[in-house]
Amino acid sequence: MKRKIGALEKVDADLPNLQHKIRNDPPSYRDDFVSQYSQYASMLELFLQSPTTTDDTGVVRLRDLIDFISHVADCYPKITAEFPNDLIKLLELHHKSLDVELRDKIVGSLVLLRKKEIIDSNTLLNTLWPLLIATPSKALRALLFQKIVSDLRTSNSKTKNHKLNRNIQTICYNLIASDPASPKGLWAVKLTRELWRRSVWTDAKAVSIMEIAALSQDAKVVTSGTRFFLGSDQEREEAAEDESDDEEEIDMRKLKHKAGINKKNAKHDRELKTAAAKVKRKEKKKNAHQTLNFSALHLLHDPQGFAEKLFQQHLQPAQPKVRLNLEQKLFVLQLVSRLVGLHKLTLIPLYSYFIKYLTPKQPSVTAFLAYLAQATHSLVPPDVLEPLVQKIANEFVSEAAAAEVASAGLNGIREVCVRQPLAMTDTLLQDLVQYRKSKDKGVQMAARGLLSLYREVGAQMLKKKDRGRDAALGLRDGQNQGAKFGEVDGGGIEGIELLEKWREEQGIGSDEDEEAWKNWDAESDDSMSSGGWINVESDGEEIDISDSEDEKDKKASKKKAAKEAEKENEEGEEKADAEKASRATASLEPEAAVRREEARISKLATTRILTPADLAKLNELRQTAAITANMPSAKRRKLQQQAQANAARHADDEVTADQIAGLAALSHKATKEERIAKAKGDPDEPKNDHRSTTARRKEKKEAEGKSTTNKEKARKKNFMMTLGKAKRKGKRSLVEHRRILKAHVDRGKRGGKRGNY
Amino acid sequence: MSKITVAGVRTNVQQLLQYSNEEKKRNFLETVELQIGLKNYDPQRDKRFSGTIKLPKVPRPNMSICILGDQHDIDRAKHGGVDAMSSEDLKKLNKNKKLIKKLARKYDAFIASDSLIKQIPRLLGPGLSKAGKFPTPVSHSDDLSGKITEVKSTIKFQLKKVLCMGVAVGNVDMTEDELIANIMLAINYLVSLLKKGWQNVGSLTIKASMSPPKRLY
Repeated sequence: MKRKIGALEKVDADLPNLQHKIRNDPPSYRDDFVSQYSQYASMLELFLQSPTTTDDTGVVRLRDLIDFISHVADCYPKITAEFPNDLIKLLELHHKSLDVELRDKIVGSLVLLRKKEIIDSNTLLNTLWPLLIATPSKALRALLFQKIVSDLRTSNSKTKNHKLNRNIQTICYNLIASDPASPKGLWAVKLTRELWRRSVWTDAKAVSIMEIAALSQDAKVVTSGTRFFLGSDQEREEAAEDESDDEEEIDMRKLKHKAGINKKNAKHDRELKTAAAKVKRKEKKKNAHQTLNFSALHLLHDPQGFAEKLFQQHLQPAQPKVRLNLEQKLFVLQLVSRLVGLHKLTLIPLYSYFIKYLTPKQPSVTAFLAYLAQATHSLVPPDVLEPLVQKIANEFVSEAAAAEVASAGLNGIREVCVRQPLAMTDTLLQDLVQYRKSKDKGVQMAARGLLSLYREVGAQMLKKKDRGRDAALGLRDGQNQGAKFGEVDGGGIEGIELLEKWREEQGIGSDEDEEAWKNWDAESDDSMSSGGWINVESDGEEIDISDSEDEKDKKASKKKAAKEAEKENEEGEEKADAEKASRATASLEPEAAVRREEARISKLATTRILTPADLAKLNELRQTAAITANMPSAKRRKLQQQAQANAARHADDEVTADQIAGLAALSHKATKEERIAKAKGDPDEPKNDHRSTTARRKEKKEAEGKSTTNKEKARKKNFMMTLGKAKRKGKRSLVEHRRILKAHVDRGKRGGKRGNY
Repeated sequence: MSKITVAGVRTNVQQLLQYSNEEKKRNFLETVELQIGLKNYDPQRDKRFSGTIKLPKVPRPNMSICILGDQHDIDRAKHGGVDAMSSEDLKKLNKNKKLIKKLARKYDAFIASDSLIKQIPRLLGPGLSKAGKFPTPVSHSDDLSGKITEVKSTIKFQLKKVLCMGVAVGNVDMTEDELIANIMLAINYLVSLLKKGWQNVGSLTIKASMSPPKRLY
């Protein structure tokens, strides 16, 4: 009897034990719980009356009780109805004076209650967020931030919890908007950035938080806001890659093979099953509906207004409200110029702002040059750019200037002119092009870059001897006049006439070729072999399924005849049909224009749907068209590479300072240390690998897990094993010899030993 | 749907025209729109695409056009009965954002003479380009009416914040063949713009203003 009582007493003190028992059978331990709860209530009351005087043992006891109750709170929802509120109140009122461990325990308990769904995310976050901003303790801030992020992630894991997100986003937004000058806004930026990186928040509202952060009046908040726009995409991509890297590749075939050979037991079975499930899950994930990853720059509500405000607030005034150092200013400038370039904004004062920074002595001048180029686009009036280009030319490019400086200047000019060719004047261009005869390699290349650019976009500005053959011919034919300001490329499918010609040569009509639609969905990697599976030309027969060419022709001619008749009948009056199309301009003879139009537009594109095969062929033709076959092969290859590089670079890409400085590295003579470092180099890089091609190839093959070819096997075969056949070969009779030769020829005709005839 | 055929397009167009011209004729000229849904497209990695193409036939004949020009072009415009404004008129707007917005809203497209167009960003600020209506240049040697039809028949593919878009490719007054030619050209151009060709196309639908949609692909 005595022992029993002792055991009971023990239960009383041993909270983890009680917790375990309650979990198993809540109703029978109800009384125990109630007694513990009342203990907790009285201790809490004591604590609240005098938070500072409570002794250590009391605090420890309270902590244990809180821990215990929060673990079993879901078993007695009625009794513990007030418990979460007590904790919240305690934390809110006394977070500064609370014992550290007790404080952390309360935060942990609240998160636990959230996990048990006793309180909702909103309540939790509304408690934690103000604490995060208010508390002076660094450790608590770190803890709170981590808890907030993880809670938001879990609530958004299955589906997006829009209501919660909107709520928290509004809180973040208001934090910055209510007091733009306070550094507290950094927390909003930090949270948004973290959640953006993890693709939890991907919407315009999150971007608007960053927008207001970039326009706030605290230097740190401004910088982190601008850096978000500049680097968030890359961050998000990296985070996604990390995640996918975590799960290593599972080779199902290998595993199955192993299972077939090794001894079978339950463990192996289980492993195989989990592996299969994992692979399946991964596959599913790959095929899952893709989330829309719009870049933050594209989600801005009003890019024009944003860029204007950024510029006016941080850059334009001589004494801005926020003091930014050069590095921070460069971030803002980079963002403004990126916005201007990307959205083709009109921000004319920006360009004159650049002028004072375009001198070789300016720190990080290559960055300024890059941002100037970035801010240039086809809708910038050439007259605002001309003085800038002139200034760069004067300051950077001269015989007296150092080679690095000159090449950076030329590169900068080139990048500006790629985007707005009209910014250049004839005399300046002709002058700059002369630098291609410079002794320095970097300057030479930069000047050549400029020359080749203008051969394409404005050959008439070059001197006659500099134009080159193609450009001169183009100029004589009247094409290649250079674009006018504001002109949009009229469009049309590039290279469609080539495809049309090719089809004509191959004798393919407008039939719906089933072949070409093959691999419709399956074609996984188009870069691997463009048009490898095209065998459209295999048979010349034409099967007209839908619209035959001649039928169409007849219709067209009939229509034309009708039109002509009509024209004769009611000349001078309001005309029908085509004329109706331009009702407003009826008297301005639209007929001729329409006629011209018809001639211009390819028949192929309007009568036939381009199949995947067509598109592949189109790509191929487009690439080879510019490069004529009679060029020397080295030059052809170079041109091809150039064309590819140009295609890879998109107008939306940013310009970096490295691109401007790029060739400057050539001008600068390497020091001894640099040369040594280069020679040592990274052996993984192909240019630093001094082994033979064969050795490298072999290694590559081994790494891919491929075996040897038959040829290799034959070459490596032991000599002694080949001896017998060689001896026999010499002793063959003539009849035998003939038979073997004949068999060889026959086999060749069938397509080899394994021939599929 | 597995693939798209010319015959399929033709039947759909026939049905569409049948519905809009005979079954439920409306009191206005219905526009035919091509709606495109994209798939397997990551706007962050693949970059956004945009492009313009001139269709063989003007899809929206009732587009209103304004000519911003010097005296010569204004005279030509008056002769042709097109609205025109001089640089003085533009200066009168005084860079007032509301007035410029109003102007941008009033017309569907703008054409400006060579001499004036370089000043447009200064005179009008970002208003026109914001509305996507930056003027097209015309020189004195160009045929103005030709330019107008060219502007009217040019359509623009541009991806905004969602993975679908719609462009006007014709109207129900056009003949079947004309409409088909316009649709096919638009589709072919779109596909040639996309990085992965047909693999990026989720759906293609044509629809007149008041008709039920017809799915092509």
